[in-house]
Amino acid sequence: MSLLAVDDITVSYGRLTALRGVTLDIAEGEILFVTGPNGAGKSTLLNAIAGVVPSGSGTITLAGGMITGAAPEEIARRGFSLVPEGRNVFGGLTIEENLKVGTGMRTDRKKIADDLDSVYAEFPMLAERRHTPAGMLSGGQQQMLVIGRALMAAPRIMAIDEPSLGLAPKIIDQVYEILMRLRAQRKLTLLIVEQSSTRARMTGGRMVLIRGGRIVLEGAAADMVKDARLKQAYFGFGDH
Amino acid sequence: MSKPHSVIRQTITTPIVLIVVLLAMAALTYAFGSRAFNRTAIEMFINIMVVVGLYAFVGNSGLLSFGHISFMCLGAYMTAWLAIPPVMKSITLKGLPGWLLHTQLPMWVATPISGVFAALFALIVGRIIMRLSGIAASIATFGLLGVVNNVYSNWDTVTGGQGSIVGIPPTMNVWIGWLGAAVAIVIAYLYSISRSGLALRATRDEAVAASASGVDIVRERLIAFVVSAFIIGLAGALYGHFLSIVNPGSFYLRTTFITLSMLVVGGMYSLSGAVSGVVAMSVLIELFRNLEKGVSLGGVTVGLPNGVQEIAIGIITIIILIYLPTGLTRNREFSWRGWPLQRRLAPSVQTALKEIN
Amino acid sequence: MTAVLQILFDALSLGSIYALGALGIAAIFGVMRLVNFAHGDFIAFCVFAMLWPSIDAAAIVFAGRLPFYLLIPLLLFIGAALSMLSEVVVFRRFRNANPATMMIASFALGFVIRHLLLMLYSSRPKSITLWPNLGLPVEFLGAHIPMLQVVTIIITLAVLAVLVLFLKRTRFGLEMRAAADNFTMARMLGVRANGVILLAFAISGMLAAAIGLILATNSGTADIGMGANVMLIAFIATVIGGLGSVPGAVAAGFLIGAASVVFQATLPHDARVFRDAFVYGAVIVVLLARPQGLFAPKSAKQRV
Repeated sequence: MSLLAVDDITVSYGRLTALRGVTLDIAEGEILFVTGPNGAGKSTLLNAIAGVVPSGSGTITLAGGMITGAAPEEIARRGFSLVPEGRNVFGGLTIEENLKVGTGMRTDRKKIADDLDSVYAEFPMLAERRHTPAGMLSGGQQQMLVIGRALMAAPRIMAIDEPSLGLAPKIIDQVYEILMRLRAQRKLTLLIVEQSSTRARMTGGRMVLIRGGRIVLEGAAADMVKDARLKQAYFGFGDH
Repeated sequence: MSKPHSVIRQTITTPIVLIVVLLAMAALTYAFGSRAFNRTAIEMFINIMVVVGLYAFVGNSGLLSFGHISFMCLGAYMTAWLAIPPVMKSITLKGLPGWLLHTQLPMWVATPISGVFAALFALIVGRIIMRLSGIAASIATFGLLGVVNNVYSNWDTVTGGQGSIVGIPPTMNVWIGWLGAAVAIVIAYLYSISRSGLALRATRDEAVAASASGVDIVRERLIAFVVSAFIIGLAGALYGHFLSIVNPGSFYLRTTFITLSMLVVGGMYSLSGAVSGVVAMSVLIELFRNLEKGVSLGGVTVGLPNGVQEIAIGIITIIILIYLPTGLTRNREFSWRGWPLQRRLAPSVQTALKEIN
Repeated sequence: MTAVLQILFDALSLGSIYALGALGIAAIFGVMRLVNFAHGDFIAFCVFAMLWPSIDAAAIVFAGRLPFYLLIPLLLFIGAALSMLSEVVVFRRFRNANPATMMIASFALGFVIRHLLLMLYSSRPKSITLWPNLGLPVEFLGAHIPMLQVVTIIITLAVLAVLVLFLKRTRFGLEMRAAADNFTMARMLGVRANGVILLAFAISGMLAAAIGLILATNSGTADIGMGANVMLIAFIATVIGGLGSVPGAVAAGFLIGAASVVFQATLPHDARVFRDAFVYGAVIVVLLARPQGLFAPKSAKQRV
C-alpha cells in the first residue's frame, strides 16, 4: 500500500492553472524524484500536499488518511515534512531552536534528545554553532539545518524542494550523500524535487517529469535518462 | 495615439453612471428632503469628495494613507482665512498677514484656492514621504497628520487653536455638494486613466515588473498624492462653508478612520467602490439615526437606545468586510460592460494579496 | 543634576507605557500581520471594567475596590479574555484578507467597544482612585520622583523580563518566535496557527490591562479616549522599531517617550505646544533614514 497517494489534483492561482490532474503515489521507503522545467508546477505539487496551497479538486491520502484540505500543521502532524524551496530557516532563532520547532508535535518525547544528538552527529558543523542565529549560516549550512530540522519532526515522509538550488557542486554532493545515508538508516521515504534529472540518475529511484502542470513521463530514473523521450518531454519538442 | 481614446471609450461609463446616480439623489433630496435630510445629503457629498480623493491615491498606489485628512484641514482653514469677513478675522485671527486679513473672497474663488493650497503642500511633503513604500509610507503619512493637527491646534493667532473659528458664510446646498462630488469623480477618473494613473496601478499590482519597465514609482506616486490632496482640499473648503465653523478636532483620527472605512467597505481599488462605500455608510447612519429617534408602531413609538447607531455601524462594517473583503463592489467598476482593465487586473491583485499573507 | 534626574525618570516612565503598548501591538503583528487598532479601546475597556456601569458623574468603583493581589490578576484576565474573544469572533475570519481590510476591521471593532463603553458609562471622565499612596514622591539623589513613576518603570522591566523568559525558555515562546519569523514554515513544522495567534492575543490583552492600570493610577480618571493616544504612539513605535522585532518595538517605545520628554524640556517656551509636531516630524525623519525601522531583524523582508 502506498504511503502517500495523490489522486488527480488540480491547483489554480486565480485564473492560472498550475497543476492539472496530477496523480502519483509513493510506497514506504521509496525515493521519488519530481523533475521538470521552471514553472512546471513542481513546487506547487509539494505545497499542495503540504496544505499550503489549496487544491481545487482531487484527493491526497497520507498513510491511509485523507489530508485533502487539511491545515498544514495537521498534515505535518501526520508525518509529512516539507523542506521548502529557499530553505526558510528561522533567521532570528538559534540553530538549536530551529531544530526544536518541529518537535512540538511528537508523541515520543523521550526520543527527542537522542534525535538531537544524532542530527548533531550527522552535521557536526551545526553542533559547533548550536547557539548561533541561523540567519548567519551560509546557504549550504542552512540546507543542512533545514534537513536536520525536518528530521527532528520524525516524519514518515520527507519532501525536499530543490535541495541543490544555489549551492556549490561539492556541497550538493554532500547533501545527497547525507540524504541517502539517512534514508538507509531510518527507512525514510523521500520525495525530492529537482529541476534537472542528473541527480535522479546518479541516485536511482523512481522519477516523474512534470511539464505544464501535468505528469508527462514516469519510470525508473536510470532507464528514463537513457530514453530519448526525456529530452523531448522536458523541452516540449513534439507532442505526446 | 488612439489608445487613450479606447481607454476612455471603455471606461467613461463609470463616472457618468456615478454622477448621474448622485444627481438623482440630490434632486430627490432637494424635492422631498427635510432641512435635516438636506444636511445629511450635503455631508454625504462632501464625504464622497474626501473618499474619492483618498481613492485617487490609495486605490491607484496601493499604499494606505492616514494623512489625507490633513489636506482637508488645510483646505478648510484656508477657506476660513479667505472667506470670513475681515471684521471678524481681525479679532480672532490677529496673526494673519495683512493682505490675507483684509481679503474676503466668495466661495467660488476661495474653494479652488484652498484646493491648490492643499495640493502645493502635498507637493512639498510628498517629495519627501513618497520615497518610502509599504507600511513605512503609511506611518509617515500618519506623522504628517500628527504634525498638521498639532500645528493647527496650537498656532492660536493664525488658526484659533483648539477652539473653533466661526464666520465662514454658510453658502452650501445640496446642488453645490453634488457639483463638488462630480468634480471629484471627474478628476479622479481622469487621473486613473492618465498615463501616470495607469503606470501607478501597474506598480501596485506588479511592483518589480513595473519598475523594471521604467516606471518611476516615486514620481507617479507623487502625482497621485498631489491630485488627491487637491480633491480633498476642495472637500475641506466646502466642509468649512457647510458648517460655517472649523475646528482642528474635526480633521483628525475619527474622520481619518471613518473615511478609510468607507473606502475599504466600498472597495479600495475602484472609483465605484469609493462612491458606493460612502453612500452605503451614509444610508446606514441615517437609518440608525432615525431608528434611534423612534419609529411609530401602532401609536407607540419604539426607539433604539442612544449609542446603538455607532455600535451597529461598527458591527455591520465588520460583517461586510468578513463576507466581502474586497468591498461591496469587489474592486470592480460600475458600467454595463465592466471596466475591462480592472477585470484583468483583479485576479493578480488577489493572488498578490494572498502571497503577502 | 536633579533636573536631569527628573527628566530621566519622566522619560523612562512615559517610555515604559509606550513600550508596553508597542509590545501589545507587536505581539499580534508578529504572528498575523495585523495592526490592531482596537488595542487602545482594549486599554479603556480594562480601566472601565473596574467601575460599575452607570452614566452618573460619580463613578461607582466596583472591581477596583478589590485588594491589588486580586485586582491585578482579574484585570489581566479581563484583558486577555477580551482580546482572545475578539480574535475568535472577528479576526479569525480575516486570515486571508489583505492587511488594509484587517486594519479597518480592527478599527471598526474598536469603534464598537468604545461606543459600548460610552453607552454604559457616558462620555464624562470619571475619577477613580486606586492606590493614592503611589502619588507620593520618593526622594532619590535629591530629586523628588513620584512613587508611581518608579513603580511604572519597575513593572515594565518586570513584564519585559517575564516576556523574554517566556519567549526564550518555553515551548510556546519558541513556537511564537518561529511563527513570527515565518508563519507558514512554522505551520509546516506542526505549529498550530490558531493556538499561536490566540496566545499572541492573550499576551497583547494582558499588556493592555497593565497599561490601563498604570494610566488609571496615574491620571486618577477613567476616560474613554485614554488608550487611543498610547495606541497611536505604540503603533508608530512598532514600525520605527522594525516591524516584527519585539526588542525593536520596546526600544522605540522608550525612544519616543524620551524624545517627547526631552523636546518638552528643551524646546523654547513658545514652541513647546508644538512638541508633538516635533515628535511626529522626528518619526518621519527616522523612517526616511531607516525605512525598515531602527532595529529591523536580519530576516526582515518587505512583507507589507
